[in-house]
Amino acid sequence: MRRLLAVLTVVGALSLLAACGSDEPETDTSQPVTVEIEFSGDTVTPAGDRIRVAKGQEVEFEVKADAPGEIHVHTTPDKTLPYDAGTTLIEVGTFDRPGVYSVESHALGKTIVQLEVS
Amino acid sequence: MTAPGAVASEVLSDPARPADTLVWAHGVGGAKDLPIPPELAILGAVAAMAVSFGVLALAWRTPRFSGESAGTPVPLVERVVDSAVVRWALRVIGLFFLVYLAFAAVFGQELQLNPLIGIFYIWWWVGVPVASVFLGPVWRAISPARTINAGLTWLTGGGSGNGLFTYPAKLGYWPAALGLLAFVWQELVHPDGVAVHSVRLWCAVYLAIMLMGGLIFGSTFYKYADPFEVLSEMAAKLSVWGRREGRLVVRSPLANLDTVEPAPGLVAVMCVLFGSTAFDSFSHSTPWVKLLAGADWMSGRPWTLPFVNTVALLGFCLVVAVVFALGTMLTGVDESVRRRDLPGQFAHTIVPIIVGYLVAHYLTLLVEQGQQTLIQFSDPLSDGSNLFGTANLEIHYILSDHPTFLATIKVIAVVAGHVLGVISSHDRAVRLLPARHHLTGQIPLLVAMICFTVGGLYLLFAS
Repeated sequence: MRRLLAVLTVVGALSLLAACGSDEPETDTSQPVTVEIEFSGDTVTPAGDRIRVAKGQEVEFEVKADAPGEIHVHTTPDKTLPYDAGTTLIEVGTFDRPGVYSVESHALGKTIVQLEVS
Repeated sequence: MTAPGAVASEVLSDPARPADTLVWAHGVGGAKDLPIPPELAILGAVAAMAVSFGVLALAWRTPRFSGESAGTPVPLVERVVDSAVVRWALRVIGLFFLVYLAFAAVFGQELQLNPLIGIFYIWWWVGVPVASVFLGPVWRAISPARTINAGLTWLTGGGSGNGLFTYPAKLGYWPAALGLLAFVWQELVHPDGVAVHSVRLWCAVYLAIMLMGGLIFGSTFYKYADPFEVLSEMAAKLSVWGRREGRLVVRSPLANLDTVEPAPGLVAVMCVLFGSTAFDSFSHSTPWVKLLAGADWMSGRPWTLPFVNTVALLGFCLVVAVVFALGTMLTGVDESVRRRDLPGQFAHTIVPIIVGYLVAHYLTLLVEQGQQTLIQFSDPLSDGSNLFGTANLEIHYILSDHPTFLATIKVIAVVAGHVLGVISSHDRAVRLLPARHHLTGQIPLLVAMICFTVGGLYLLFAS
């Protein structure tokens, strides 16, 4: 039992060491992230891509659509962003909390992108 | 525009859904947790494997956990916990929540702000099992269905254990497994899963079945067929509290796990819990999201998305069942033990793995969205009232704001669950297996557990 506990302690300690954070490579977060979204008929592109966003970085959607509609961003609470036919630039704002935020079209029942904020 | 990540103070209503739009199922809660970093996932996997083979090589050769007979009595705590005052207070709390939820469900608004949603999906589904890990079988003490049944039995003068019929032993935990499946289907697949009218219906049907079952089979029905009671009991096996001949005792969680009695459907319960949590994780991963978003054959037909999600949910539960069955049955046994009985005999060993993974998956939901539910709790009608003084509390995002810390907790929870599972299964193996198979006989189950743990870590990494 003692040997077992010793092994477990060593393993546990190693795990904790690894948890002492890792350095993310620096990316330019002063520029806004522009997501180009295109709606045509029943389809939307992108379809489910994951986009990395820095905490506090501005996010905007450039929407090209053939009909007006709404985009839902699953923050707490949800945000509903309307767009018109043609090209619309939507300023989404900044995400101040790390997490994975789903951006969806409820009308089409599809996820457009997932914003991974870290 | 307010920052999307912050809690807005304005009341936002759900957009009215036109009849022809595809309704969307996305479970409760806004943002999901970040994926855990790959280094942590790999380290967790390595730790799990190292522990598994360490236990195999170094651990004891005769059974250590004596289950029922283990434990130190704690008379002082027992006197408090078993006192009529405390027992009645707990029953009243359960009844209060029944009345409160009924009130919010019937008179509250059809909004995501209705506390019914948060209480149902967070406090009840996650909070009660987590509380049970620390306090013992919580649901059994507060369940309003049990209270009502006890009241009816007292009124009619019958004994509470018996109903009109005896609960059929062959049925075992199967009704609870189905109940849990019904819950996770509602949470993860049902397009209207987080709508007030839908949750209200689920609760009404649940209560009706519980009350009828209690009348027909007596209070034994709750022990085997109430999904929340079975969930709470399983989590309570990881607590230090137990009963020996009716007396309250404190014993090691490993000894507590040893007291789980095999019964039909127990393995099904485990598979539903683990499979559904794994599916929930997987359904947010990029491959699945892209698969669904790119599937043009699904457009325009409202039944296709729930259909695909149902198949995937069942698929995950089935894979867990097959892996576990193979892990337990591919071992050498002598004539006294039937191979078919082995999964049931080892079902308790994956309880820690399941609870560890449930904690990793739902911790943020419980701690952060749970605080939001506490705020909504004071306002059941969503009209700005502050009945219990919690409406103006601030949410502390102590986990989301520290993603590395959160990721570490998740990995520790999963690996700790694995460690307990491996130790528990080792003890059961040396009890059940003939001496020549003590070591080799454990390897299939160890491999199954490693698959579960590594699979769980992978899903946390890929979500």
